[in-house]
Amino acid sequence: MIKYTLKRILYMLFVFSIMSVILFSLYNMIPGDPARSEVEGLRETLKPDEYQLAYEQARARLGLDDPAVVRYGRWAKGLLSGDLGQSKVHKVPVTKVVTQPLKTTIFINIFAVIIGLGLTIPLGIYTAVKKNSTFDKIVQVMTIVGHSIPVFIFALLFIYAFSVRLGWFPVSGMNTPNFKGTGWEAFKDTMWHLALPLLVMTIGALAGLTRYVRAAMADALSMDYIKTARAKGLKEKVVILSHAWRNALLPVVTLIIGWFMSIFYGSLITERMFNLNGLGKLLIQSLNDMDYDVVMAIQLLYVVIALLGNLVSDLSYGLVDPRVRVNK
Amino acid sequence: MTEKQIYDKKKDNKNKKSFITLLFSNLFGNKEQLSLMEEEQVQSPWRTILKTFKSNKVAMTGLIVFLLIFLTVMVGPLIKPIDLSFSETSQIHIAPGMDLMKFPESLNGKVSDIAVGPSFSVAASTDGKFHIWGKTRVSSVIDVKNLPRDESNNLINMGNVVRVATGFDHIVVLNDQGQVYSWGSNRQQQSNVPIEVRQLNNIKDVYAGYQCSLVLTEDGKSIYFGNQMNNDYYPYHQYQGQLQKLAVTADAMLGLTFDGNVVYLGTQNNSYSTIPENMGNVVDIAATASTVAALNDEGKVFIWGNVSQKGEGNIAETSEKITAIYGGRYHYTALTEKGNVVAWGSNVYKQSTVPESVINANIADIYTGYYQNYAVTEDGELLTWGLKGYLFGTDDLGRDIFTRLLNGGRMSMTIGAVAVIISVFIGVVVGALSGFLGGKVDIVLQRVSEVVAALPFLPFAMILSALIGNSLSSTQRIVLIMVILGLLSWTGLQRLVRAQVLSVREQEYVIAARSVGVKRMSIIFRHILPNVISIILVSATLSFATSMLTESSLSYLGFGVQAPHPTWGNMLFGANNSIVIQNYWWRWVYASIVLGVCVICINLVGDGLRDAIDPKSQER
Repeated sequence: MIKYTLKRILYMLFVFSIMSVILFSLYNMIPGDPARSEVEGLRETLKPDEYQLAYEQARARLGLDDPAVVRYGRWAKGLLSGDLGQSKVHKVPVTKVVTQPLKTTIFINIFAVIIGLGLTIPLGIYTAVKKNSTFDKIVQVMTIVGHSIPVFIFALLFIYAFSVRLGWFPVSGMNTPNFKGTGWEAFKDTMWHLALPLLVMTIGALAGLTRYVRAAMADALSMDYIKTARAKGLKEKVVILSHAWRNALLPVVTLIIGWFMSIFYGSLITERMFNLNGLGKLLIQSLNDMDYDVVMAIQLLYVVIALLGNLVSDLSYGLVDPRVRVNK
Repeated sequence: MTEKQIYDKKKDNKNKKSFITLLFSNLFGNKEQLSLMEEEQVQSPWRTILKTFKSNKVAMTGLIVFLLIFLTVMVGPLIKPIDLSFSETSQIHIAPGMDLMKFPESLNGKVSDIAVGPSFSVAASTDGKFHIWGKTRVSSVIDVKNLPRDESNNLINMGNVVRVATGFDHIVVLNDQGQVYSWGSNRQQQSNVPIEVRQLNNIKDVYAGYQCSLVLTEDGKSIYFGNQMNNDYYPYHQYQGQLQKLAVTADAMLGLTFDGNVVYLGTQNNSYSTIPENMGNVVDIAATASTVAALNDEGKVFIWGNVSQKGEGNIAETSEKITAIYGGRYHYTALTEKGNVVAWGSNVYKQSTVPESVINANIADIYTGYYQNYAVTEDGELLTWGLKGYLFGTDDLGRDIFTRLLNGGRMSMTIGAVAVIISVFIGVVVGALSGFLGGKVDIVLQRVSEVVAALPFLPFAMILSALIGNSLSSTQRIVLIMVILGLLSWTGLQRLVRAQVLSVREQEYVIAARSVGVKRMSIIFRHILPNVISIILVSATLSFATSMLTESSLSYLGFGVQAPHPTWGNMLFGANNSIVIQNYWWRWVYASIVLGVCVICINLVGDGLRDAIDPKSQER
């Protein structure tokens, strides 16, 4: 197991380095001259030859004329020491720009994931057990609809119904501006603002996951060992929860882990629609502002999380399914 | 026994074979020839799939609805082609409905004056009543249907209305006492009747334009109120006291003097002020948004101003003498001495195509404005032609949402289809190679696929589109979106194909093919692949739906296909503020519905196909 884990981690590092090369070359393709933009402000004050000199000095200082390999090495070194560059727009190190939105995103998504998992897993199990019942059919239709309609349409509908028509929830934002109150009141205020986004995010994820859990569970329930368990006279609850669910877990685990990882991704559409200051919104903003160092940092974060997710799901197979453990 | 009974019996005998015949035929094989298929109930797998699919009502409904949508968006753009550069400020945010020319019945036969606005029309009837119809909500807060009220919120009694005029978003009326009332948008004071006008009692006519109003007195004076900056009008112009008629373009005022000359009432030197010489004795003037027309007493029409490609300058040929001209937004209509109508200029909404009913009738008077025309026959009947309205409303640039939905649907579906073709191609090739070859190739390809699958789809597609798409033209960008969607979505299919290939790899027919020396590539693509095609088909259908969703999400965020090219996703771009959501619901409702229905249908078809191909999955 330890050997396997080490192997996977090594592989992860290997893939990460390849991805970093790809990303580095991709971002180097973007037209633009950082040295030119650095000295541009001096154009008016300096004489042409002085300006040219300053420009060349800037180029040399930034190392723009070095071969690509050298530049990559320098960039990777900075990356390893936690230097992700400078945000062009905010004029502070990228790590500082990313921290707050990342916190917000994690805060929002933890709730979304808890609500989502808390709903989908029981729902999936229940519909698989009560297969072809009226309830199951209703859920099936609803999941197909939920699966087919993009999140932003749900968001538009909910804003129209709950914010514009009924006025129950605010249209956008995370807090009431200039809110003053105790910590608990502030939390309540935040949750009141987050109610609609959370609803939208949960619905968006609900449909796909419920279908998946139901299919895995139905597969497991059709196995012979379930018949055996029932024939033995085990309680239905035991049959379903420990015999069937344990076996249905394997395919579901990948999905659940993927979903946990999405805590960090930020939800582009929801954050944009409700104007939440999360990672997704930061990404859109930075792309629009052409603040590529920030974009690059976010993208690297995505890659790391994706690789970690792969690792965790590989390892968790062993935990969930003893057969996998034996094989490795 | 009657003859008929005998006949019936014979017929019976023919149908009901006797026991002996049946016995013999069964013994000696002389039975009715059934085809092999019928007898053995053998069907090719594809026929079974087709039959199962056909019996699935939900999936069939999905298929039919999808095909209907598909046909509509493929044929529709041919009938209603899109003009990508189109924008029309006067037609912004018009609610859905075809009632722009649905005048009240009580007006028929009693028309005294009609004025046409961008989306609404107003009229005065001969009994002095005021009428208004069309889409009267000109902004999220102003509805010109709300007649003016005094301080204590009671409706002002306007008396007997004789003249009406409509501007961009306000209305001016004149009653028989010579009093002027105005309401609607008042941002530039255009509906704030100044004291000097209220004190007058010899007002002859009222005019209204873009953010401005004008009154004309009996003694030939003009008084202007409204936006002073946009419109070139000089209050102390030298023709005060000589004017008998005014014409208002989108930004300038011209007048016709009592002695038959056209004069410019502003200070600038522009294309309106360069009035043609030698026009003779002018008897009528009219204006569109950007041109001016004059008619002299010989029936000759002169056009000047910013004459554009829209065709205001192409005066219609007629053998009859023209006696009056009228200007719309970008077209002119003219009345001849024999009561016939000719029209020329922009014909986007058929506003310059005179209908049969008008040609056949004897027309006494015409009222033209913006995109509508009203003609009064000599019997007093009111006939109309031009823009009826918009089925699904218009958006923030005045573009018809229905046309954009048709064209956007074609774009969305094309992008989805091409993306699926790309992803199916990659998925099949990678999956088949990886499954059949195994070993190192398999490991490398699977690791690559793992990484691609683990990356968050939407942000990555967005980043790629922003990084690469920066320097591309809009058409290249559309191709880029297709490629990105295809490149990021092949992993699921790849895994399916690989699993299938692995399961058939060791089957006898593959071993047989290998043993007779068929090349490996040939085995993969000609022997194995046809056996897994059904899986590919299901996956392609479902990923077509996903591609359309992703494209719409990308475009919605502004990183997909960009305006002016419409797609169902980017039509919703900019709809996410509460003003649009609440007031201009048609901007998001229709696109959402059609996108949702289409994707639901594709998913239903995909699910039905999967059930039909793999009957085991139905048990789930």
